[in-house]
Amino acid sequence: MREEKVALRMIMPYVLIIMGLVGFMLLSNIVMSFLDDRGKFTFQNYVSVFKDSVFYKSVLNTCVWVVGSVAGQITLGLVVALLLTQIRRGQVFFRSVILILPWATLDIVAGVMWRWMYNDMYGVLNDILVKIGLSKNYIPWLATPRMAMFAVIIANIWKGFCLSGMFFLAGIQTIPQELYEAAEIDGANAFGRFWNITVPQLRPVLTTTLMFTIIWTINYFPLIYIMTGGGPNYGTETVVTYIYRLSFRFLEYNKAAALSNVLFLVVFTIAYLFTRKMAREVAA
Amino acid sequence: MRRSTKRKTVKIISYVLLSFIAVVVAFPFIWLVLTSFKTYEEIYSYPIIYLPKSWTLEHYQKISSLDFHRYFLNSVIVGTGTMFLSLLIGIFPAYAFSRYSFRGKAPLLVSVLIFQMFPMIVFLVPMFKFLDKVGLLDTHLGLILAYIPFTTPITIVFLRSFFLSVPKSLEEAALIDGCTRTKAFFRIIFPVTLPGIAAVGVYAFLFAWSELLYSMSLLISKRLQTIPTFLSVFVGQYQTRWGPLFAGSVFATLPPLVVFILLQRYFISGLVSGAVKE
Repeated sequence: MREEKVALRMIMPYVLIIMGLVGFMLLSNIVMSFLDDRGKFTFQNYVSVFKDSVFYKSVLNTCVWVVGSVAGQITLGLVVALLLTQIRRGQVFFRSVILILPWATLDIVAGVMWRWMYNDMYGVLNDILVKIGLSKNYIPWLATPRMAMFAVIIANIWKGFCLSGMFFLAGIQTIPQELYEAAEIDGANAFGRFWNITVPQLRPVLTTTLMFTIIWTINYFPLIYIMTGGGPNYGTETVVTYIYRLSFRFLEYNKAAALSNVLFLVVFTIAYLFTRKMAREVAA
Repeated sequence: MRRSTKRKTVKIISYVLLSFIAVVVAFPFIWLVLTSFKTYEEIYSYPIIYLPKSWTLEHYQKISSLDFHRYFLNSVIVGTGTMFLSLLIGIFPAYAFSRYSFRGKAPLLVSVLIFQMFPMIVFLVPMFKFLDKVGLLDTHLGLILAYIPFTTPITIVFLRSFFLSVPKSLEEAALIDGCTRTKAFFRIIFPVTLPGIAAVGVYAFLFAWSELLYSMSLLISKRLQTIPTFLSVFVGQYQTRWGPLFAGSVFATLPPLVVFILLQRYFISGLVSGAVKE
């Protein structure tokens, strides 16, 4: 009983400051989303969100952006983590170059760096592709909606795969080595060992990583903002960049608040579905 | 014998593939560094020049003449503030989550896990209004306050896992020897988990260091702005000044790069004991 009091007192700062702030922000968004320009109650903001063709386009774009980025990041992260556990000497070096460098690069730096490499005239990417014969002509990477989306996804995979790589690296280290030795004695080949030991043992890590990368990618703003600003012709406009455009370009705060609430509900649902299981284990 | 040659082949293939990936991953950054040492004629040369012929420092000089050190200092202030405040707010709840059972523990912990996933953009306008109302808009303290809801939850998650890794018996022994709980915490738990606490602190620092959206929206005065905002000014819709932009980028990336490389062991062990095990 005394312990409970001590614990609650320790939790207090979190409840008061963090939960207080978050609660206030959420409430403020909800109130704003139901107000019109003159401060009267209205559903108009939600109606105009769901009538807006850019909204549907941004939802579709967000899906492409998330599926492409997450698939790339998870695959690359897993490959790098598996390769890194095979070696001993030079692990720190490879870890620093492959996993730490993109992570430490500031969002804005990553954005401008890729934007410059994608430059159709002076960009190094076109030069290399033509030189090694992968492409005959210079590609205008950021000029058409489709290519622009492809280009920002590639940049995002570069920026973000290190996190899943680190999660997997940490996860693989917790797999008991005896399992592999036993399987090897039983005559399992490398693929069999990967499929029957690594994958099932990594499943919890895989779930956590998947959740984090999906949500972070939905929320990730700076790269697209710097590289394309959502263009060309809304080709890379995600829900997040659209909210920014609504608030700070069009100054439609109330509509932006309505869209924010929609986005929030989606992210919250995904997060809740994933964490429910995690929390049950934590509480146990 | 056969097994060991097989092992060797796997190792060699791993090294080859890793080297290839390392080159591909490092290339964009190397390209950025090379470009920052080129003159404008070389940056805009066709066909492309790969290595700068005459290594120039003009862009670095340009950056320093634009008071880069002031933005750097602002970033240090905001980063340090974010680090200390999120540690200060996070450390006690993390300890309580790791040691005590109390009513509402599970839902509170879920709230911590979920808070770290909230989209920053959603809170931007309310945060703007809130800071405006309390008179903290366009101040460093206001920006730090705006970062806290995003850095504290992850701080709690990580610190809790570090505290869990310290056996309870250590403290109990100290309590029996007549230590108070506070003393036991500072004498026993704190020193053992200090590397982990430092790693989490650095994480919060670097979050603030690289954050663009809030810093460019909540800090309006030029003399208060941080590095990301400063760099974003060079990006124009029609023309971008690549030289100084890249010189500034190199300066901005070096500190986090060095710190992350030095502390990578703690980050990975934090992940092992934290997010991964659950």
